[in-house]
Amino acid sequence: MAIHSINSINPGLLSPSLSKKQITPSDATENFSQILSKTIDEVNRAQIQSDRMTEKLVRGENVDLHQVMIASQKASITLQTTMEVRNKVVEAYQEIMRMPM
Amino acid sequence: MSIFTSMNTTSSALTAQRLRMDVISSNMANVDSTRATVNENGEWEPYRRKSVVMEPKEAGFSTFLNTAINRRGNHSIGQGVKVSKIQEDENTPFKMVYDPEHPDANADGYVQLPNVDPLREMVDLISATRSYEANVTVFNANKSMLMKSLEIGK
Repeated sequence: MAIHSINSINPGLLSPSLSKKQITPSDATENFSQILSKTIDEVNRAQIQSDRMTEKLVRGENVDLHQVMIASQKASITLQTTMEVRNKVVEAYQEIMRMPM
Repeated sequence: MSIFTSMNTTSSALTAQRLRMDVISSNMANVDSTRATVNENGEWEPYRRKSVVMEPKEAGFSTFLNTAINRRGNHSIGQGVKVSKIQEDENTPFKMVYDPEHPDANADGYVQLPNVDPLREMVDLISATRSYEANVTVFNANKSMLMKSLEIGK
């Protein structure tokens, strides 16, 4: 019975990371903008959810007060996280702009 | 979002304690209700004391699946608490009070009053309030922890 050599296995099949294509700067920018827009979407959704809960409470629908408060807190935390990320991005941009030429 | 897991757990506990409070209010309000249900003999029966039964909330399908295929999942922490049912107290007997003038008095002049003990309801009320407060404290601690983590690197 013939035993096949292990070497015949394509190395790219076992480690796909080796054959991964190089990320160009334009790809990175696109990725970053996608992540940013996704995050902003999420923040927006939290805000809308909070608004909806508050409206329900004001209209006298069957919604608990603590759920309204928790929704608003969640919206506030996501917004502050986004602000923090934005501050970091702006900081990095300014750092680069201050580079002496 | 997984950063809000703890907040969702707290939220379920607050909802459960609110419901407990509602049930206690109902018990307190009906402390003198002699006509709640009609029994099989066609006679009025007084209100029965109600209490809530709570149980841990089962994790979702994805959690079980992740555990089964050995992926990282939050299988060790629960999803909060839920009220499984509101049970009527069948064990405590009704209070018998002598009041022949009462419309629901029996032939001997005794009236069956609900098996609600105001003292016990007050204790339950305090317990529900304190549990609610404790969960609000957990929520605030959780929020301040998240806020602290936003200060990393400032």
